[in-house]
Amino acid sequence: MARSNEVNLNECKMVVPLNTWVLISNFKLAYNLLRRPDGTFNRHLAEFLDRKVPANANPVDGVFSFDVLIDRGTSLLCRIYRPATAEEPQPNVAELEKPVAAEVVPVIIFFHGGSFAHSSANSAIYDTLCRRLVGLCKAVVVSVNYRRAPENRYPCAYDDGWTALKWVNSRPWLQSQKDSKVHIYLAGDSSGGNIAHHVALRAIDSGIDVLGNILLNPMFGGQERTESEQRLDGKYFVTLRDRDWYWRAYLPEGEDRDHHACNPFGPNGRSLEGINFPKSLVVVAGFDLIQDWQLAYVDGLKKAGQEVKLLYMEQATIGFYLLPNNNHFHTVMDEISKFV
Amino acid sequence: MPLYDSASSSAGSCSGSSSSSSSSKPPPPPPLQQDIDGLLAVAGYKIRSSELRQVAQRLERLETAMGNSPADFSQLASDAILYNPSDLAAWVDSLLSEFAQPPTCSSEFIPGPVNNGSTTAESHTPPVQQNITYEQRTLDNQLTVVTATEEDSGIRLVHMLMTCAECVQRGDFSLASSLINDMQGLLARVNTVCGIGKVAGHFIDALSRRIFRGIGGGSVGGGGYAFESEILYHHFYEACPYLKFAHFTANQAILEAFDGHDCVHVVDFNLMHGLQWPALIQALALRPGGPPLLRLTGIGPPSPDGRDSLREIGLRLAELARSVNVRFAFRGVAASRLEDVKPWMLQVNPKEAVAVNSIMQLHRLLGPDPIRNSPIETVLNWIKDLNPKILTVVEQEANHNQPSFLDRFTEALYYYSTMFDSLEACRVQPEKALAEIYIQKEIGNVVSCEGSARVERHEPLAKWRRRLSGAGFRPLALGSNAFKQASMLLTLFSAEGYSVEETEGCLTLGWHSRPLIAASAWQAVAEAGSSAACVG
Repeated sequence: MARSNEVNLNECKMVVPLNTWVLISNFKLAYNLLRRPDGTFNRHLAEFLDRKVPANANPVDGVFSFDVLIDRGTSLLCRIYRPATAEEPQPNVAELEKPVAAEVVPVIIFFHGGSFAHSSANSAIYDTLCRRLVGLCKAVVVSVNYRRAPENRYPCAYDDGWTALKWVNSRPWLQSQKDSKVHIYLAGDSSGGNIAHHVALRAIDSGIDVLGNILLNPMFGGQERTESEQRLDGKYFVTLRDRDWYWRAYLPEGEDRDHHACNPFGPNGRSLEGINFPKSLVVVAGFDLIQDWQLAYVDGLKKAGQEVKLLYMEQATIGFYLLPNNNHFHTVMDEISKFV
Repeated sequence: MPLYDSASSSAGSCSGSSSSSSSSKPPPPPPLQQDIDGLLAVAGYKIRSSELRQVAQRLERLETAMGNSPADFSQLASDAILYNPSDLAAWVDSLLSEFAQPPTCSSEFIPGPVNNGSTTAESHTPPVQQNITYEQRTLDNQLTVVTATEEDSGIRLVHMLMTCAECVQRGDFSLASSLINDMQGLLARVNTVCGIGKVAGHFIDALSRRIFRGIGGGSVGGGGYAFESEILYHHFYEACPYLKFAHFTANQAILEAFDGHDCVHVVDFNLMHGLQWPALIQALALRPGGPPLLRLTGIGPPSPDGRDSLREIGLRLAELARSVNVRFAFRGVAASRLEDVKPWMLQVNPKEAVAVNSIMQLHRLLGPDPIRNSPIETVLNWIKDLNPKILTVVEQEANHNQPSFLDRFTEALYYYSTMFDSLEACRVQPEKALAEIYIQKEIGNVVSCEGSARVERHEPLAKWRRRLSGAGFRPLALGSNAFKQASMLLTLFSAEGYSVEETEGCLTLGWHSRPLIAASAWQAVAEAGSSAACVG
């Protein structure tokens, strides 16, 4: 057994830069410490280990951020990232919510990853990613600090996403000059991608327009074991066992992975035919073991007549978008800026 | 009310970043640090590029070991005490060595803080629930609903406060005073029971004192101050978890530092009612192998009315110690200012293990001018000469000592509105009202005082790190056990919304992701001879 482990580790090291390998392996190691076999989660240790950064109203590289409590009942925080304007290089406290200036300002509601259990809006890796998105898309980014599993199961994360969507949509200062409406995009990686899909779904009959969904390695699954899951299990940082653990932690007790939260185009899913669903940009990494589910998702959207663009990054592993040291990163960032 | 973060310095991994108001780039790092992997630094990890390969190998070894004996690994997770996850190389190494040698004892605990100065001995169960005098806040909808117009007025108030402060900085006092009038009018239309209205009121008061009475100090200072401030302190202690966190975290570190020592001596820079010490006394009583001889030297202002209040507190603590069979000796040192204390007054015995404990006192030593042999340098030097096993430092996590008045004002407005926000959760009176007065006095000092009268010169953790390192101290990381217990303490005593964070070996307590108070531990860099490190 040890031998095949060695082979795995070596293969994996060939396809990512060394610092990426160290970063993701470290996460993997830490996450293994946190998941208990009985389904509980060592939350204290998780918070201790997570590297966080405070918000910063001083612009850094042209982006400043501040935290807003949008729902007292659930202590729901969002971190808002805005571009610093040329005339006001340093906003003061009263001007953080100054109206956006341009004709059209995209507002990207971002849901961080972590398989529903890990990370926060103020995790360093996600703070960095959100800042990048601001510059890339000339957008305001709202990163949602949704409640996590296993303490808060389905549908808490979706509820929080929905609360955030309503909040963003009702901010006068986020309205684009052109039409006095908020131009909203939903985005997320891993579990965040899953949340983006489900929040878009909830928005459909609500009158809130979502202009687009950006899903980076979205987390989907199902009861069946697919070919990619079997082929790639344990090879590139992720195992089927840990995927199963996270679904058990998020889905309602007693439910299996064909629950519609996990498998939106599965036996319990809702048909999207004829529905006004936003256009989607879906990024799939070639070394991600759940790619068959992600590709099935894209197929599902296509079959329902929905607009979807698939970016399949053959040589990419999970988390490639966290560090800007590889080509996939730049390709994806380009596509995102074109999409928004 | 939205929470804003004001001009705070950027993330800790960026060395040398200044806390000045301009968004200047940080100065280039010193040569050694240029080898630090920049991308991982941004992700919160400090590791040299040259070490990457080595760390990768060790991660692989850990992984293999984990695969071979998963049961040991999950044991590791629950028992091991981990430190400073940012230092990736050290962290991986410590995991590897933990794995090679399983931990021998479960992590120690300290009984939770108690509500009055003396209690009876408790059995060794996790933090006790008796003596709690206020109920936990429930997620309720009794909070005042803020209407849209109120929110607008609130934002206008903030805007006007900033403009007024700017006028004050410029010296345009006539405009400033007319703004004060306008703001007081606006205040009448805003709900001053909670939220921005309440905080704004205090800032308007402080500004107007500065304008109309000059910067001599207003109501701060004076004879009755010491006694009054003790009462306010006590209620601040009860109403919110900041001081409890400070005491608890410091005690945990002190307990670890005293491990294996039979004669220990704690020097407390501000005894107050001695609220911190019953818990330590009890923890020492329960120490495996028996308690040490404990000496406590408490520093505090002289009592105005001739009472020896220090001695009274010492007597109460002695009673408690006797009841739990801890040999105890107390000494009070009366001094109106910390810099008046001379080391010989502490009568430290060279054979003792010494802990120096400073809860929100060091910032008072930062004098108005950065002169040579400033009080802070003097005091840090004699602390070092005592060769303590540990120096515990808790400070407000705020940048209230910037040269520009407007910057200080802005920072304070944000900091204290966050703190007031957190206080909303407290339902007990008169604790809450008096705690607010306590905070109000701090605001008054930061905003309306200057020169030697301004003693609330808070500086952020990053600055304290530099200062203490520069003065010859090295950091002792606070570990995952301290973190866990602080988190558990919060759930027991406080409302949702508080968060404990670990940042490079220090712990911070904050409200809704804004850190408000930071705890750290230090040791003098050893000259000759070893000192037992208490890390790992």
